[in-house]
Amino acid sequence: MTHIDRHDTDILIIGTGGAGLFAALHAQQSAPADTRITIAVKGLIGKCGCTRMVQGGYNVALGGGDSVERHFMDTIKGGKWLPNQDMAWKLCEQAVVRIHELENEIGCFFDRNPDGTLHQKAFAGQTADRTVHKGDLTGIEIISRLMEQVLARPVDKLQEHRAIGLIPTRDGSALAGVLFIDMRTGGFRLVRAKTVLMATGGGPTMYKYNTPSGDKTMDGLAMALRAGLELRDMEMVQFHPTGLLAGDHTRMTGTVLEEGLRGAGGQLLNGAENRFMFDYDPKGERATRDVVSRAIYAEMRKNNTSANGGVFISMAHLGPDNVRAKFPGMVKRCADSGFDLAGGLVEVVPTAHYFMGGVVVDADTRTAMEGLYVAGEDAGGAHGSNRLGGNGVANSTVYGGVAGDVMGADIRTMGALRDPCPYALQAEIDRALHPLTRQPAPVHPLRAALQDAMWDDVGVMRTATGMERGLTRVAEISDALMGVGVADDNLAFNLTWHDWLNLRSLCDVSEAITLAGLARENSRGAHYREDFLDEGDLDASYYTVITQKGSDLTVRRDPVQFTIIRPGETILPESEPETLVAAQ
Amino acid sequence: MTRTRDMLQVTVQRGEAGKTRMQRFDVPARENQTVLDVVSWIQQEADPTLSYRFACRVGMCGSCAMMVNGVPRWTCRTHVSRVANDGRLDIAPLRNLPVIKDLATDMDPFFDKWVAAEARHHPTRGRLEEFDPITPDNPERAEANLGIECINCGICYAACDTVAGNPDYLGPAALQRAWTLLNDSRDADRPTILAAVSGKGGCHNCHSMGSCAQYCPNELNPMRAIAGLKRETVKAALRGKRDA
Repeated sequence: MTHIDRHDTDILIIGTGGAGLFAALHAQQSAPADTRITIAVKGLIGKCGCTRMVQGGYNVALGGGDSVERHFMDTIKGGKWLPNQDMAWKLCEQAVVRIHELENEIGCFFDRNPDGTLHQKAFAGQTADRTVHKGDLTGIEIISRLMEQVLARPVDKLQEHRAIGLIPTRDGSALAGVLFIDMRTGGFRLVRAKTVLMATGGGPTMYKYNTPSGDKTMDGLAMALRAGLELRDMEMVQFHPTGLLAGDHTRMTGTVLEEGLRGAGGQLLNGAENRFMFDYDPKGERATRDVVSRAIYAEMRKNNTSANGGVFISMAHLGPDNVRAKFPGMVKRCADSGFDLAGGLVEVVPTAHYFMGGVVVDADTRTAMEGLYVAGEDAGGAHGSNRLGGNGVANSTVYGGVAGDVMGADIRTMGALRDPCPYALQAEIDRALHPLTRQPAPVHPLRAALQDAMWDDVGVMRTATGMERGLTRVAEISDALMGVGVADDNLAFNLTWHDWLNLRSLCDVSEAITLAGLARENSRGAHYREDFLDEGDLDASYYTVITQKGSDLTVRRDPVQFTIIRPGETILPESEPETLVAAQ
Repeated sequence: MTRTRDMLQVTVQRGEAGKTRMQRFDVPARENQTVLDVVSWIQQEADPTLSYRFACRVGMCGSCAMMVNGVPRWTCRTHVSRVANDGRLDIAPLRNLPVIKDLATDMDPFFDKWVAAEARHHPTRGRLEEFDPITPDNPERAEANLGIECINCGICYAACDTVAGNPDYLGPAALQRAWTLLNDSRDADRPTILAAVSGKGGCHNCHSMGSCAQYCPNELNPMRAIAGLKRETVKAALRGKRDA
């Protein structure tokens, strides 16, 4: 019988990005004084995950003509009318409070205008200068300040603890706890809690080129599927057009070269070193992320590529010294990695960046399962089919705080800790131990095969034929993984065991992405169907919902509830101009 | 001119604290290759039991710092061609921290000292109040900004000989953060910060050897911040005597 360490707490938070850390702080403020709070994370507190990697900034309407209403309309239009409108509204409304909290209480210091007010800039898809930032390293400022606040508080901390299963009660009516692997020892730990926030982050790393932190493998959504929860918008994967391309063997490949390079006049060149963006869009390189990603992908399909199969970004015509002065961080990063961004050509490729889909929640982060709350990139709905740059960290920090408040209130009416279903617990343990019962073989080639399959067949441009093929390829890889073993002689800090578990999560979620992609027979936001180019009837907009029963996935289409505004309408007064952003 | 080598000769420290050994691997040399890529290749292709830590891959998280040919570095941002010594690399866990296994260290002592240095914001305003209208040219703010890009990677802590010799010493990163806060006009509790950094493991242990500034990948200068703390703690002590 497998030994399981046990840990009981009142509130359990999984993840230490913007959502998890804010949840810990808010739970402490709202819960009764003797409440036990535990925060668990797959890496080190505040260091793994993606909030720290935010470059652009934080969208929030702070006056000067901008308003919560305008932010809301941009979010709904950017999401192509698919967002859950109540969630989008709360995001825009509460971002105002949260940004003040970040500055005044957490200690972040954001860039200022000469008069001491906060500097705000406009990203693509915004009709106001709205993005608060700290240079181009906003995420570091937010996470470092949140991290030091949480480290100093009496919260139980479980670092390098990987969540592997949501364990319900025997009757399945509520969540009893979460099973972890203590990665440092390789042992199991069951944490029982009255309320659990799942804020593990998304991160579509099942694509050949991807931007997220290396620890991100969609474990949260894979656990949610197994627990029978509804997942929405699973087809919606956002690609960033300019990921660094340096070969398959280096972890540098896929990492983001920032949006601002194109905004400042950077040019994209194909393999013959000719500009091509104006063949696709009158805005050229300044077109939106999805348009530029598709244009690069189209050049790649025509084999108009660089040595490693991408295209080039060129900045040198702007003057190398000027580029060095304007983008010091990017130039230095490229130089450290052996590339001359200021004066030479750097190879780039579209790269999977953010996952709009996630668990169905309400605007209070509650799920269909009592005791389980979800916030941040694990939750679906706030962005619909496309996330605006700057809305990601606003979403995670707003809803992390909401979750902390709601859990702190809910535990007041909850009784004792719940008993976990022994069969569900054993099933999760068996699942995690499975690779240790098979003959050891390399895991890495299967991960590469999955990334190729998703990139080729369920990527930037999709067709029914391609996705059907993708479904078969994913299933074959998934089956093959079950035959691949990991040596069991030392499970302490055994990265290869975790590579296997990572790939298990990625295979499961990849199947869901592909099925949802087949179910959406139109092109909306991030989802582009070459066989259904039309965006479909906006008034009859639907979102996909996918659930797992046993090992079978079922997809359905639910109509979007236009709870605040219908397509074609606006909540802005008639006198309001279309945009407040000065034309470039 | 040096011949391009096909293989790198890599020596990696293995094992747990007190039971370490060195192990040799031959790793294919590539054109675009970081030290993290070398470590990953070993785990993926040669020895699946190798333990190490990384996250962001781009020098933002500070999880992957290791000793590379005796020098603390971010492995994700260190190109092999810049550090390989005649095709040889020696890779070991970050100095001055307990080893969990192989190349992964326990960073808790580093962060415990961050907390002990009172290195967190003490609010003067709440979330329902306006932002403090601090102008960009405010001299105090300019001083605070000098250290703000620290990503707590632990490289200065590993480079510091004072940390090596005195386990109580708070170290350059935590002290630099304290200096930033001391210059932040929004902080409500500057006396507590000063008290935290002037105690037994505090700023006066620093011998100004400057390894922190020399090795910081972000080109920050914790030694300068610590010198500031020394001045302020002395001034505060003198004020205390005068007021007594």
